[in-house]
Amino acid sequence: MKREIVVAVAGNPNVGKSTLFTILTGEIAHVANWPGTTVERKEGIRRHRGRVIRFVDLPGTYSISATSPEEIVAREYIVSGEPDLVLVLVDSTAPERTLNLAVQVLELTSRVVIALTKADAAHSQGIHIHVDKLEEKLRAPVVLVSALKGTGIRELLDTILDVAEGKRSGKSTLRINYSWLEPYISEVESLLRKQNVLPEYDRRWLAIKLLEGDRRLEDLLIQKGLKTVVEKTRSLRQAIERSTGRSISEHIITSRFNYVDSIARETVVRVPAPSAPMFSRIENLLIHPLYGPPLGLLILLAAFTAAFALNTGFPLNIVFSSIGLSEVAELVEEYSLSGLVEKGFSILGAKTAEILYAAGAPSWVVALIAEGVIPGVGSVLSFFPLIVIIYAALSVIEDSGIGPRIAVSMNRFFNYFGLSGKAIYPFMIGLGCNVPAVLASRASIEEEERKQIIVSVPFVPCQARLIVILAFVTAYFRKPVFQALSIISIYAVALLLALATSLATRRVYFRKKTPPELILEIPPIHRPSFKVVWWLTWDYSKHFLRKAGTLIVLLSIATWWLLSYGPGGIVEDVRASYGAILGKAISPLLLLYGVGGENAWKTAFALIQGLAAKEALIETIAVMQGGEVSTKEALLALGLTPLQAYSLLVFMVLYVPCFATIAAIYLETKSLKTTLVSMLYMIASAMIISLTIYYLGQLILLVAT
Amino acid sequence: MIPLAYLPPGTRARIVGLTGGYGQTRRLMEMGFTPGTQVEVLSSGPGPLLVKVRGVVVALGRGVASKIIVEPMR
Ligand SMILES: Nc1nc2c(ncn2[C@@H]2O[C@H](COP(=O)(O)OP(=O)(O)O)[C@@H](O)[C@H]2O)c(=O)[nH]1
Repeated sequence: MKREIVVAVAGNPNVGKSTLFTILTGEIAHVANWPGTTVERKEGIRRHRGRVIRFVDLPGTYSISATSPEEIVAREYIVSGEPDLVLVLVDSTAPERTLNLAVQVLELTSRVVIALTKADAAHSQGIHIHVDKLEEKLRAPVVLVSALKGTGIRELLDTILDVAEGKRSGKSTLRINYSWLEPYISEVESLLRKQNVLPEYDRRWLAIKLLEGDRRLEDLLIQKGLKTVVEKTRSLRQAIERSTGRSISEHIITSRFNYVDSIARETVVRVPAPSAPMFSRIENLLIHPLYGPPLGLLILLAAFTAAFALNTGFPLNIVFSSIGLSEVAELVEEYSLSGLVEKGFSILGAKTAEILYAAGAPSWVVALIAEGVIPGVGSVLSFFPLIVIIYAALSVIEDSGIGPRIAVSMNRFFNYFGLSGKAIYPFMIGLGCNVPAVLASRASIEEEERKQIIVSVPFVPCQARLIVILAFVTAYFRKPVFQALSIISIYAVALLLALATSLATRRVYFRKKTPPELILEIPPIHRPSFKVVWWLTWDYSKHFLRKAGTLIVLLSIATWWLLSYGPGGIVEDVRASYGAILGKAISPLLLLYGVGGENAWKTAFALIQGLAAKEALIETIAVMQGGEVSTKEALLALGLTPLQAYSLLVFMVLYVPCFATIAAIYLETKSLKTTLVSMLYMIASAMIISLTIYYLGQLILLVAT
Repeated sequence: MIPLAYLPPGTRARIVGLTGGYGQTRRLMEMGFTPGTQVEVLSSGPGPLLVKVRGVVVALGRGVASKIIVEPMR
């Protein structure tokens, strides 16, 4: 007996797969990508009746044809021989739609367990499904479950074990009658039998897929030297389509849905149930052509403002200080979550240094840990509460069903920039942090749109850049009107550049004239479940911790080393460090902005630091001005004119957000070339735009005086 | 027979055929937009249409919706 039972979990998007997966496995054991793809692979373990069950989450898809990488991944894993059985989820509130995937899997393999999800919701909507009858029709075990209420889980696990142990299982795959296509299916089947083609696949299934013209399978056959088989099925397909005038794949999908309908008619009973009037009113407002877009934006903005205020005190601190309550503003900042985390880490750094000294550790070790690693970890963690809260807010918006409706109402706006309404997610997330924003590009079904988002969303000013903007603007502009105008104009420039980049990528690089089409499933509006929101939030946040965390820790060590060491070993004065040498090397660039001398290399080095993380920019400037001055004094000590400050600020906001984002771009595209090109593009456009502003400004000043 | 995009809200219709490209047609069909299936237009304005198909609400951009040919039902 095999020690471990492997279960592949398949289901349509929105079927309740993540929720059930979390209920089944609790902690997710392992997240990785499927080999050779950017499709995420999740695994989790559950012990039941003394056996270990390993659940492997397949991507949420509507079918297992080969139209997307997700579908290929799902299908090839099912036939790989690794899973003992496939658990297919069917949404019991929409069986007529979601049974389709179950039927497709049953055509491919007989080792299937079907879970009817959201039993509680089906019940309250007056939908009843005859489980026994359904089992009889599909010849596979069916279990009614509710992940939210926790019902049916034990029975589901029992059934999985029974099937895995061979006590209960369908003997053969499901046969759907494809009417006039049947003789041709038999013809291809006998061809496949003679040549013993791909014995790991069900032969009938393979025959149907080849008749449909499945590219992936055709390629596989050609690779195995079975080109003649492919040629035969291809010419057969062409002959059939020519003589019948109908598309085979359309016939197959339609027949399958007709079969699903016939099953549903016999097993699903609907009794009228009252619908919640409040939800339908919200719903109507959200998708209203006139009120929808502003309402949607308002909800998102409110969520973000709340998250920012809790974390950084912004914009409450500005509000308080502008009405003369600057002490309150300082308190708000100090007791914001990031403020507290940062303070905690500076205390931790000092204490650790003390303890290490006392223990007799060499001084470079103490410095590395207390000045390099701990502040580095701290700088990541000070953003962590923000990430968690923003994700919580977005998860509420998503889980309640408001999110997809906002995407619908914003569709027209994003169409102008070569995107669909779905782009609202990455753009909003980007205002918090660019790393999860790049990852959020996954929601796009169109590959081009996904790439457009990946290269354009890093221009969206994140929280770290907001800090830089606020610091410079308050230092160099005294009048609140100018401060406000500079902040708004910089956000406008950055967002426009992001949208223009997306449009240009689509038009020039992908050569597509029309925006991506929106095809989006809209789940019913409902009260978000606390459990689901928490899981979603934690799942995303862990992602951030793991991917950004490791990188930033390494970077902060590198930064510390650059500033502490020079050609002559440990340096007391940063001016002799490798960092200064680096800064001097690129300081000529700053001459373009009319900045020279000592300030040029300092600004240049700060810009290099800013490549790693934007917060580092301001800190570096403060450190290099002697440390003991306020941020404002340090910035003023650079001696810039307001025009220079503004243009440089534009540069700082637009060039490469941080290394974590670059890493995210690489992880999402798996292409070193795309990553490098987008990095260079960001630096180049930052230079061009900021220099244009600088010289136009100079010209205006010249004319004015 | 008219494209789904031109139906006013509240109308029901039966799908006759899909005229888009191979990938899009396939995706729509796998989502349940197969010939013979009944659809109901829930809302239709300048933006995307909301239609109900097989018990699920789906938002369709106008471009997609004009490639789904339907026969309105009384
Ligand atoms: N009523 C009810 N809703 C559920 C249940 N499981 C999931 N949902 C909801 O269904 C939606 C989709 O769930 P999710 O797990 O994200 O689906 P996925 O896309 O398949 O991973 C969410 O809004 C969930 O809150 C359930 O057992 N009962």
